[in-house]
Amino acid sequence: MSVNETLQKRQHIRRIVFILMALSVILPLIFKIGLPLKTTKEVRDVFEFIDSLPEGSAVVFSFDHDTATLPEMIPLAEALLRHSFRKNLRVLGLALLAEGAAIGDDNFRRIGNEFGKVYGEDYIFWGFRPQVTVAMLGLGEDISRVFPSDYYGKDVQSYPVMEGIDSYDDIAGVISIADGDMPVHWINYAQARYGVNVIPAVTAVMATTMYPFLQSGQIAGLAAGLRGAAEYEMLLGKPGRAARGMDAQSSAHLLIIGLIIAGNVLMIIERRRK
Amino acid sequence: MHRKLPMYICFLFGAFMLVQFFIPHRTSTAIYETILDWVQIIYAFSLLVGVALLIKHHAIIATRPSAKDRPYSGIVLGGIIGMFIFGIFFGRGEDTAFLWVFKYVQAPMQATMFSLLSFFVASAAFRGFRARNTQAVFLLVAALIVMLGRVPVGDMISGFIPKAADWLLNVPSMAARRGIYIGIALGTISTSLRVILGIERTYLGGSRG
Amino acid sequence: MDIGTTVAAILTLAIYSFLYRDNPFYKVAEHLLLGVSVGYFLVTTIVTTIMPKLFIPVFANGELSYLVPGILGALMFLRFSRKLSPYSRIPLALIIGVGSGVAIPAYMQAQLIAQLKTTMLPLDDISNIIIIAAVVSVLMYFYFSREHKGLTGAGAKAGMYFLMVFFGSTFGYTVMARVSLLIGRMQFLLGDWLGIIK
Repeated sequence: MSVNETLQKRQHIRRIVFILMALSVILPLIFKIGLPLKTTKEVRDVFEFIDSLPEGSAVVFSFDHDTATLPEMIPLAEALLRHSFRKNLRVLGLALLAEGAAIGDDNFRRIGNEFGKVYGEDYIFWGFRPQVTVAMLGLGEDISRVFPSDYYGKDVQSYPVMEGIDSYDDIAGVISIADGDMPVHWINYAQARYGVNVIPAVTAVMATTMYPFLQSGQIAGLAAGLRGAAEYEMLLGKPGRAARGMDAQSSAHLLIIGLIIAGNVLMIIERRRK
Repeated sequence: MHRKLPMYICFLFGAFMLVQFFIPHRTSTAIYETILDWVQIIYAFSLLVGVALLIKHHAIIATRPSAKDRPYSGIVLGGIIGMFIFGIFFGRGEDTAFLWVFKYVQAPMQATMFSLLSFFVASAAFRGFRARNTQAVFLLVAALIVMLGRVPVGDMISGFIPKAADWLLNVPSMAARRGIYIGIALGTISTSLRVILGIERTYLGGSRG
Repeated sequence: MDIGTTVAAILTLAIYSFLYRDNPFYKVAEHLLLGVSVGYFLVTTIVTTIMPKLFIPVFANGELSYLVPGILGALMFLRFSRKLSPYSRIPLALIIGVGSGVAIPAYMQAQLIAQLKTTMLPLDDISNIIIIAAVVSVLMYFYFSREHKGLTGAGAKAGMYFLMVFFGSTFGYTVMARVSLLIGRMQFLLGDWLGIIK
């Protein structure tokens, strides 16, 4: 077989794999199977943490991600926001990555409207701050110094929702919705120094990096990826997009496992031939 | 002096921030808060420098008649200018052009760009994920257990699979990651000390002063 | 179906066209993405950080002390000048100094002491023994001041196997993450755009 033919064959196989991948996701989305989903302890811990907070407690949502991971991040943020609003918590928001600012503000308004919450009275979005380290440390000293005004340029202290909230001492927990290692920074700078509770809601890629902190008790729980969001939706009793995507998640995983096995079988056959 | 002054500044501010942690006096706390405040402003300028460099790069290409990618650089500049005008002059809240472009142009494209990786992961799983030696077998088995154990179908096949995935994540994988974290902490502490003391100066654009 | 959803769907398909081969539709979408992302970033940085932290305190409130970080920040732009570029290192040195100063106690507390403390587990459980063995052996693997021979070598080798388990688990989760992103985009195309699924 010539080099050209080999390349063409490879390209052909590649395209077949791409089509199989697309089908493995599309078909279960159209023809629902409804596989049962069990909740894990990590996600239940997050749920119970928020559920145990008394009405009026303040929680901070930090949108520490960009638009690349929206399909994973938004279901997580939505589920956690719905729970916080349902519990009548005071919801405060910020972004440590620039794109998180528009995402956070949009989600706050959308989910806030669902529950009839009023901006400035029940929730507020502070905006974006670069240099995560100093921003996290600054919030432990004086929030209004880090964020003198909110996302819309109005004095932060003029909003009723901010009454009695000056630093981490007045905050029940920081929920870092992150697609990178931002929760680790929250642990290093906010949890270790100021003792604030940190709850990571991260992409699945970041899940394994959070387990050491889960075991050491440095984080209150862990919700990771679309699966974490699906579990949270189940705990809320309102299955949404994430839960509906779990069938597709299962079939795509089965396809990839099948591809790995097929690749290895081919390798063994080729070795035997030689 | 060009190198010494930054080194002294680095030492002064680094040493102060370190000492302040152990001696949180009222005066030192006030200075500490001021420094935190200042750094946010200074850092924001560094981001603008990055943007300026990118604009400069594409402006050069867009104005060079012989450049092949000239139209594409024009699109980049058009995007920057458009968003700048929308955001600065017409607001960023609900029902603004800025948020519309963000929601319907930027966000879907960026998310789609990353979702392309699922196809490449599938392709790589077939072509590259081979159990060639014992180490690769460990990697492969761990991956298969987690992949199956973290989706509903794994539980349907056997209740043992999710339990195995849980154990794997909470024991050997967690402990290995902890080892990495401890290593990172030791490395960060020593590098930070070297930076403060002026031994590590690569950020000045060279290793020798 | 609103116009925004259709625009988003067309751009989504333009990006997916790369799966067939690189093409002008993909390139236009790619560069448009770069442009609007940078534009967004520029506006957000100016409006939510530079304005409230620098311009308003200085020009509206008369807090002139904020001119100091403003000037230091502006020095960063001197990197564009061949002659004056060394001065752009001054604000950089300040940021690096501050970052290093705060990092030492933070990493010491959160990642070194806390993580070591929680590894001191009673040896009455097989999982606990594995945790201790894994942490020690992974640290041995990263210990390069001594040749990996004898006991150190055996420890480092064991560390490598534990690392492989970690990488494998992470790969498993990475697959999960990438698939989730595809599910999200397909839910958008089939649901929000075409209305085939709910």
